[in-house]
Amino acid sequence: MTPVHFAFSSAFILGLTGLAFHRTHLLSALLCLEGMMLSLFIALSLWTLQLDSTNFSASPMLLLAFSACEASAGLALLVATARTHGTDRLQSLNLLQC
Amino acid sequence: MTYIMSLFLFGLVLGLVAVASNPSPYFAALGLVVVAGLGCGILVGHGGHFLSLVLFLIYLGGMLVVFAYSAALAAEPYPESWGSRPVVAYILAYIVGVGMVSGLFWGGWYESSWVPVDELGELSMLRGDSGGVALMYAGGGGMLVISAWVLLLTLFVVLELTRGLSRGTLRAV
Repeated sequence: MTPVHFAFSSAFILGLTGLAFHRTHLLSALLCLEGMMLSLFIALSLWTLQLDSTNFSASPMLLLAFSACEASAGLALLVATARTHGTDRLQSLNLLQC
Repeated sequence: MTYIMSLFLFGLVLGLVAVASNPSPYFAALGLVVVAGLGCGILVGHGGHFLSLVLFLIYLGGMLVVFAYSAALAAEPYPESWGSRPVVAYILAYIVGVGMVSGLFWGGWYESSWVPVDELGELSMLRGDSGGVALMYAGGGGMLVISAWVLLLTLFVVLELTRGLSRGTLRAV
């Protein structure tokens, strides 16, 4: 595993753990999701650049477009949560009480 | 050059440690800005200038700005920075984890492990990264139409999510 491959792989896994263990704010989870998307963008771009293969070269742009869609949907949910519950803290999302 | 690239790679991983340790969202958004900037530097170092500019403009200038002012929804009187006790615990755990896994690969990394292969050094008209964007308008036209449709659909999804009027997701308004 080259250093660059290790770097964006560990960045993806770190974002995933941040998403899994998010503690207080919903926005922290959305930001970790954005970090994962960023590491995926870097990975796809480096595929074309390092391996001299232009087969998959349109994928970073398309990933960016779909990531924008996902971020806006997540932020709309955040705004809806903040408007309904008054805050985006996860303690207030207590419909499922266990 | 390798020193700058290794600096950018370290910064990428440490920046994402700073985001994943879940401080208050103000600081996490700052960490994400740093990570995006260093990622652009990595792409430039490999010769992908166009994709790096796209990342800067669209991702940093478009999406992260929206995240930055949405962080106002997460306002709290005593925001947790990277110095507060639970965040430091996460940071240490992540750094130790990444360090241990990188120790598995350390023996095989040497000076030129990341030398990019760049054959057309001078006067190259066809770059792989901008060629991919051109491909999106040529053979990938169907995917372009699909992406535009999905973006329009997302606009309506967002408008429906935040509509209010006691229907859908906003019941309190």
